[in-house]
Amino acid sequence: MGTDVALKKPMMVGNKTLGRFMMDWAAVFALVLCIVIFTAIRGTAFFSKANLINILRAMSITTIFAIAATVTMAPDGFDMSACTLASFSAYIFASSFLWFGMPLFVAALVTIVFTMVLYLLTMFLILVCKIPDMLATCALMFVHQGLGLWWTGGGAVSSGMPTRWGTQPIRPGWTQEFLNIGRAPYCIIIMLACVLFAFIFLNYTKHGRYLYAMGGNKTAAKLSGINVKKYRFLAGMVTAVFIAIGAMVVCSRNSAAQITGCDNYLMPSLSAVFVGRSVGGAEKPNALGTMVGAALVAVLENGLTMCGVVYYVLPAVKGGVLALALIAAYATKKEE
Amino acid sequence: MERIKLETKGVSIEFPGVKALEDVDFSIETGNIHAVLGANGAGKSTLMKVLAGANPSYTGTVLYNGKPVELRTPSSAKELGIQIVYQEVDTALIPSLSVAENVMFNHIVMNMGKKQFMKWPEIRNEAKKVLQRLNITDINVNTLVGSLSLAQKQMVLIARAIQSSCSFLILDEPTAPLSDNETEELFRLVKHLVETENIAIIFISHRIHEVLRICSSYTIMRNGKIVDRSMITDKTTTKEIVEKMLGRSFEENFPKEEVPIGERAFEIEHLSDTEGKVNDISLYVRRGEIVGIAGLVGAGKSELCKTIFGALKKKEGVLKFNGKALNIKTPSDAVKSRIGLVPEERRKEGVLVSDTVDFNLSAACLNRFCKLSFVDKSKTRENADHYVGSLGIKTPSIEQIVKNLSGGNQQKVAVGKWLAADCDVYIFDEPTKGVDVGAKSEIFKLINDIARDNNCVIYASCENSELLSITDRIYVLFDGKVMAELTTALTSEDEIMHYAVGGKAPYQK
Repeated sequence: MGTDVALKKPMMVGNKTLGRFMMDWAAVFALVLCIVIFTAIRGTAFFSKANLINILRAMSITTIFAIAATVTMAPDGFDMSACTLASFSAYIFASSFLWFGMPLFVAALVTIVFTMVLYLLTMFLILVCKIPDMLATCALMFVHQGLGLWWTGGGAVSSGMPTRWGTQPIRPGWTQEFLNIGRAPYCIIIMLACVLFAFIFLNYTKHGRYLYAMGGNKTAAKLSGINVKKYRFLAGMVTAVFIAIGAMVVCSRNSAAQITGCDNYLMPSLSAVFVGRSVGGAEKPNALGTMVGAALVAVLENGLTMCGVVYYVLPAVKGGVLALALIAAYATKKEE
Repeated sequence: MERIKLETKGVSIEFPGVKALEDVDFSIETGNIHAVLGANGAGKSTLMKVLAGANPSYTGTVLYNGKPVELRTPSSAKELGIQIVYQEVDTALIPSLSVAENVMFNHIVMNMGKKQFMKWPEIRNEAKKVLQRLNITDINVNTLVGSLSLAQKQMVLIARAIQSSCSFLILDEPTAPLSDNETEELFRLVKHLVETENIAIIFISHRIHEVLRICSSYTIMRNGKIVDRSMITDKTTTKEIVEKMLGRSFEENFPKEEVPIGERAFEIEHLSDTEGKVNDISLYVRRGEIVGIAGLVGAGKSELCKTIFGALKKKEGVLKFNGKALNIKTPSDAVKSRIGLVPEERRKEGVLVSDTVDFNLSAACLNRFCKLSFVDKSKTRENADHYVGSLGIKTPSIEQIVKNLSGGNQQKVAVGKWLAADCDVYIFDEPTKGVDVGAKSEIFKLINDIARDNNCVIYASCENSELLSITDRIYVLFDGKVMAELTTALTSEDEIMHYAVGGKAPYQK
């Protein structure tokens, strides 16, 4: 009977067809489904407060970088070099803390300012030289990697090691506060703060709406009187701050600024943005969707590991999730 | 209400090599609906862009109530209450944002001042109010604009324009995508606005009968200059306006060339698409025959053309040529079956705009010019030279990028591409859209020539006068179905319209 009715008239939820509704919330359904399945298999070993914190901790770094990518992608920008820049920022963070003995707060501030200054180079290539985002940041990836290692003298920045000039660092080792940044609950709090900030910024301030307007139709935004260069620049600077925050969390988590320590977060963070793009029918990069995307990957990794799947197969699973999300977003679209 | 006057004095714009506007003195006062007319390339849009602040490189002065003003940015134009609704609605809307935001967009950009946060309930309510002023009830302000129909999108744009302070509303070809009902609705709204508010409407249109109905005065432009400015009276006729537009008298009907008509060659049986836009259509075309497809916007003409060509998915139906069934699933199959489509959206679908004339003319049959998969440049050049000559394509060289040609010449390239491919069936979808009257007659001649070479031609258009002058038979579509099959020599514009609006009863004079 039910199918009969459905055939005559598509089921409606609000003003959308059921199919569209399902697609809009596919990522959330998938997340819930994963939790239900893993709970059924592993019981309280999976569904517990301790493991929840595990998952949140695991997703925190990816989410922070993904939020950075969300802000860049809202005005239809793109940044391939975000995570190489983060590696560089991590060197700066660790070296200003260890080598120069700066207080933690000052070191953090220096890192943020440094990241923003270096992001001016990205903005210069994109806005002044008018190079397409993808190409400009592709080139900058190598610039960041090279300059970063020049600064460290070719190695990681870690406790107990001499500075690149061969002198003894002012601070011999990490402090508890420094290490806390990368630990639960602090890294989770930082992640949630980033998501909340980006959510409010993008949805409830005029600046965020301008960025979305540019992402939807740059010419229209420009002709409506939005200073598109200024706002692309603003998006870049906000992105830089998130990149710096992500770099600091990674540095603290690893207890060192490792060589290319952040580089590998690029693809997971971009995936999270793509998975979250259609959440709730937003059809644009959005903060909450991004977090859902990051959570989905983290839950899968955590659950599959618990179920005994070997770690080196997990990338295939992540890739599969991304592919499914993209299928939901694109395969159901009407052909134009 | 104090009238506001906007004038331009000696405004000129020069693009490299072309004078787009030359010493233009234009003026408009609130309380009027004023038409700006001209053939393609006459400078109407350029002038309107100057008024809208989108053309900052103009020379000369603009006066607002007698005081000189600078209109160098879109926002300075908006501050003076000059709003423009562009012809291409998609260029001005943001598909990924909601209707409410799109309607209130100027407010969000211009009037927020120091306020940093969006007041969502206020924005939604304001947007609802504006839509109510326009008597629009079927648009939910929370839907994303990307999911609206073309007519709805235009309504959203007009709502946006009148939402903010608006004294001069420029409508650039507003009725082109609208159905008759929607056009009526637009006219009602425009008249209402002029009567109740201190506003002037600048109405740009090619449909002169609409201009005569709704406007109180007109300005005619030709080659970047204003050639006439008059009031519209009962005595104003379409003919005199067209003559002023073209600068010469113009024979509206193109003589149909008599061509011997052969056997039934191309047949379509019970064709339906998956979207429901094409419903069980059967028709046939004989050799040497030009068959018209009539119908209003949205009747399914373009969809029919694209379904035949395999560009839209076919649900049911058989296509036959010379009695043999054709298996067409993709446009590539169609080309192999020697069917060519000149689509409606010329720039997007018909030609490769950033490629050369040479490449475009060989694009549909590159195989013919290849040796072992290597393109033989001398052969494509020979081909291009041949068609540039025979079609009279005005281009400095065959290496010219198609983007730089005029609309009519681009269309000739789009047609030439299929001539080079030597098709049996040529489908034209609104081939005269956006080309001026001179180029139109050349395209008609071209289509006549194609038919004379014993080919089958399908000609879809919503301009009934064109169909009457060039076709042999006409199928009238309504809602994706064939309502009537008419012999051109025995029918009239009235009869076509009778069926096009869904008339089921036989037409009576």
